[in-house]
Order: sequence, then structure tokens, then C-alpha cells
Amino acid sequence: MSEEVKIVETGKVPLKGTLIFAFPDVGLVGVIAGSHLIDELGMVEVASLNSNLLPPVIVLHDGLPHSSIRIFSSQDTLLALSEIPIPSDILLPIMNALFHWAKSKQVKMMISLSGMPIQDRQDATELKSFAAASNAEALEIAKEKGLEILTEGYMVGPQAVLLQHAAETGSQALTLLAQCFYNYPDPEAAAEVLKDLTKLTGLKVNIQKLLEKGEEIRLRARDVMKRTQDEMTKMKKGQEYDIPMYVS
Amino acid sequence: MAIKKRQTISDMIDEYFQDMDRWVEQVRETLSERPSWDLKTSTMEPLREVTVKPTEVIVTVDLPFAKEETIHVEAPDSSSLEILAEMKKKIRLKELGVMHREGVIQRFHAWISLPVPVKMKKMMVEHKKGILEIRLPRKRSTQSKRKE
Repeated sequence: MSEEVKIVETGKVPLKGTLIFAFPDVGLVGVIAGSHLIDELGMVEVASLNSNLLPPVIVLHDGLPHSSIRIFSSQDTLLALSEIPIPSDILLPIMNALFHWAKSKQVKMMISLSGMPIQDRQDATELKSFAAASNAEALEIAKEKGLEILTEGYMVGPQAVLLQHAAETGSQALTLLAQCFYNYPDPEAAAEVLKDLTKLTGLKVNIQKLLEKGEEIRLRARDVMKRTQDEMTKMKKGQEYDIPMYVS
Repeated sequence: MAIKKRQTISDMIDEYFQDMDRWVEQVRETLSERPSWDLKTSTMEPLREVTVKPTEVIVTVDLPFAKEETIHVEAPDSSSLEILAEMKKKIRLKELGVMHREGVIQRFHAWISLPVPVKMKKMMVEHKKGILEIRLPRKRSTQSKRKE
């Protein structure tokens, strides 16, 4: 683990579980889905990430300071959630630390939740969702569970780092992506990605509750979305719109 | 090839200053750190996006909790839009997790600078799934050339 990034455990961390990543990104899909999981599964904080690389921000909950990146747990499910957008220049060491910590906990599968922006999202009546995998075995699992595979394209951000690390080390990782708004919080897309997560893991999650709170979430998430937009611009997130060029 | 009438010097100077104003506004928006809400007017600034297409400018504004019948779009000048909308209910700052101030938010207000000239009179407005969509046909410069 990098010395600049420390993961401090404050609770019992299950071994051989599943680790879900929910970081601010397009449409805040991952964070909205992750926050809903915490409520639905009654997850509790078991670890937090501390780093002098992170901006000098703490999050106050019940009057006490917390790291902006925390790890929650319920049974054998772990969830790493960031309440602030991670600056693009420190994304790599942060993801490295989380990845190595996950390996030390013998995590069997890592799953990142995110979105895939589409133009004219407001006109879309049904949102498609996709999965991308770190290796052939993980890809097969996604197919068996009936998930549509993202076969070509670019991926930018935490999920890209996760898949790359996992591919290099032969670990199993999947990224679940739902079509979403680029710049606006998108609870509907979060609901779609959670549907795929439940197919994949068998977790029981009430999606309807999330959809009912949709407007409230969009209002509350407005400021985090605005700051996330700035970071997405810096990490050239718009590259996900690009037409892939393959040279054989 | 048809060549449209050239702009006058006065038009060019006006356009130059309009461009400068837009640039200053964009820089100001980027640099200033201020809350997204204003308790004096009980307003919140909505998220918005401006996209320039070859034939039109599309502005979208995220208006969760907005009462559709109260959405008001105005063009105070040839290069700006002002948007106002009442919310379905008054929202206390505490409900949004802001604990250090007392107050309520009950409407959205946005002032949007448009990056290229548009035909304001042909503005089309739609409200879909809480997103306000404004379409404005572009006004081409009189200097532009068209191949026939």
C-alpha cells in the first residue's frame, strides 16, 4: 500500500466478500446507488481512507468528523464510497490503495457502479445498462447473469483504473454502467445499475424507494455534481463519447 | 457561391464587445466560489448546460421539484436567458443538510449567457422529466459564406 494513502479500519471487515465502488462520476450514478445501498442494507462504517493527497475536507456526521472516502459493510458486502469528487491527479494512488487493501481482505469480486452519458438523455424512455469485465472469467459471470456486455469503447475514471489493476493481477472485477445524464444527478440511472447489481450478487434492494426520492436526491446532489463536473473535465471524461479507433 | 452582405464597422464593434462580455461572464462564473442558494431571495441556482449545434443552441436546466406551470423563461437581451420557477414546496435548508443557517428555498433562478447569436423569437421551450429544454435557432453572421 502506498504510504501516502492509509486505510484505517474501525470495525470488523469481512473476508472473501464483494467490494463495491461508488465514486462521484457522470450523473453521480455510483454515489446515488451506493448511498441507497447503505440505507437499504443497513451498512455500517468499518474503515476510512486517510491521505495527505486528498483536499483538506472532512465530512461532519452527527457532529463528528469523517473521512470523505469511507468503507461500509453488511455481511459479506463491502462498499467504498466517496462523498467528494476525487481529483484526477490523485485518483491512481487512491485506487491503488483501495485495490491492495481489497486484496489483503481476499475480496472475491470488485464491482464499480457508474454511468455512461448519452446525449438527449431527457428523451430516453428506457435506460440501457452494460457491464465491462477485467478478465474472461468475470465476463462469463456477467453474461450468465444476463447483463449486456460493453464490447467496445473508452472508459475514464475510477472504474478504468479498477479494471486495469484487476486485469493486470488476474483479479475479478466488473464495472456496471447505466445510460445517464453527463452533468445532472440521475437517480433513474442509479436504479438501473442497482438492478444489474442485484442480478449479479443476489442482494435484495428496494429500487422503488430510490425512484420515489428521485427529485429530492437531484436537489441535494446539485453541489456535488457541480464539483464533479470540474474534475470530470480535468480527467477528460468526455473521451467516453469518442468513437474508438482500433488498429489491427 | 453566394456572399452575404458584409457587417458594418459598428456591427463588428458591437459583436466584439458582446464576445468580451460573454468571456468575462464565463471567467467570473468559473472563478467565483459562492453558495448555490440565496436566502435573501429564497432561490437556488439550478444546474444547466449550453450546447452549440450547427443550426441551434440547446440549453437544458435541471429543475427538480419545480412546478411546471410556474416555469418562466425570459430573454432580457439578445444573448442571455433568465429562468425562474417556483418549487412544489418550500424546502428548509436543514432538509438539504445545511445546519449552520436557517431559511427556506422556494424557487429556482438562473441567468444564462449564450455563446453565439440566436433567434430569440423562435425559442422553443419544453419540460421533460424535470429537465427544462430550450432550443434556439442560431443567427448566422452576415459575413458567413455559403457554397451553392
